Amino acid sequence: MNDDIRKLVEAHEADVHRPPAHVVEQWHSAIDEAAALERGRQQQSWHPGSFFWGAAVTAALAIGIGIGFVLSGDNGVPTQGPMIANLEPSVKATPAAFTRGLAVHLRDSRQQIANLDDSTDRTMLVLQIIEQNRMFESAAKHNNAPKLARVLRAFEPVLLQLAASDIAPENAEALRAQLAFELNVMLTKLASESSDESHTT
Amino acid sequence: MNARLLLILLLLPVVAFAAGHDTSVSDRDSLKIAALEALMSAPPEKALPLVDKVLAGNHSTEVKERALFILSQIDSSEAQATLLRFAREDSSELQLEAIRMVGIGGDEEALASLGDVYQAGNRDVKDAVLEAYLIADDARAIYDIAVNADNETDFSEAVDMLGAMGASSELRELRSQAGMSETLIDAYAVSGDSETLRELAMDSSDPDLQTKAIEALGIVGGEDVDNTLVEIYRSAQSDEVREAALTGMLISGHDSGVLELYRGATDPVQKRQLLEYLVMMDSEAIYDVIDQALAGDQ
Repeated sequence: MNDDIRKLVEAHEADVHRPPAHVVEQWHSAIDEAAALERGRQQQSWHPGSFFWGAAVTAALAIGIGIGFVLSGDNGVPTQGPMIANLEPSVKATPAAFTRGLAVHLRDSRQQIANLDDSTDRTMLVLQIIEQNRMFESAAKHNNAPKLARVLRAFEPVLLQLAASDIAPENAEALRAQLAFELNVMLTKLASESSDESHTT
Repeated sequence: MNARLLLILLLLPVVAFAAGHDTSVSDRDSLKIAALEALMSAPPEKALPLVDKVLAGNHSTEVKERALFILSQIDSSEAQATLLRFAREDSSELQLEAIRMVGIGGDEEALASLGDVYQAGNRDVKDAVLEAYLIADDARAIYDIAVNADNETDFSEAVDMLGAMGASSELRELRSQAGMSETLIDAYAVSGDSETLRELAMDSSDPDLQTKAIEALGIVGGEDVDNTLVEIYRSAQSDEVREAALTGMLISGHDSGVLELYRGATDPVQKRQLLEYLVMMDSEAIYDVIDQALAGDQ
């Protein structure tokens, strides 16, 4: 067993849910990279590679949050807040790092849904979005963000309809339009709340 | 003045225009929807009257549905009351979407009121209410629906939803309140409640439910369940229980357990059945087993 795994197991057995410092650092780096990538996106025109980079960054964030779940409960099932909640246990507000990660997830989901077409394996792509959405929904629940958790949970039945292979094109288009609107609204709301916080601090 | 505030100021008249004019042009709808999006940045006291105006106006269902989503994101009792009003209007095209938005809004009073909407509604409305409770993560409300259900469809739909939510404690309570049923066993499997299923698998008082529970253990899977299924097979007093254990192992993909049983079996009928399952499971060891069977040495 290598040192990293041994430390994780020891921390878990000791009921200490704070991850090793380097894991936190890696996770924060992923957030920073995602933020930098997003800034770059806003300045550059879209190119095909960005879809895959976006998905990769979201996956990195999801894995980062997933590490928190593994640390916080048996068999990967969260029994206490993930690591991002435990970094500042006395603060009840939703952690800013989580909000930034969620914004990246929402943007990537919006882009992936906008780019869905019949030539790609739509069902597989939508199921991947659902998987990541579930990860962020659990994270929202454990990061004192029940409103966000409810919205993310509400996306899933719509995404499941979109994943159906026998859906009529006009119905698929309607669902995509609905999701695009709801994702946009949530991004606007997150940006607005984050802006309000920065103005009041 | 920052750019976002400028954008809001520019788009607010568009929402006001949308609220007062009828149009069926898709581009117009797109503009209205963009304006509604921008309202999310406006203070609730400014956004709410404009959204109300859109909902009262002569606009497309799509535009009004988007307005309902905006309402679900406004923290005010007026917004929740409006959502509930639309959720109660059974003649409205917006009823199902309004019910979903009550779930997203998460207001406890509004969620409690959905119980009456459920009772008065048709199947689509009932499903929408169950989904709203799923969104609100309100397993207790779904439990109440299941326990008070007066027909099998209402009961099984509610139980299925509890299974999808992983609401193990509510499902266990239902066992004592409503009695055991195949629907409940399916829900235990979906929610991953191997403990209850193991208990049912050992209970031979109802052979049909016992075999169903044994097979459902295979859906949960995992090392403990795999070991339990092997033990159930070994201690089985009937062919039905033995076959259910094998089906459970087939579902969980525990071919090493079937192989172990095959190697230990002495009854030719059982040995043939175990071989058939190994073939169905596409076990890696199948060619060795076939070779040995043909050679007559196990």
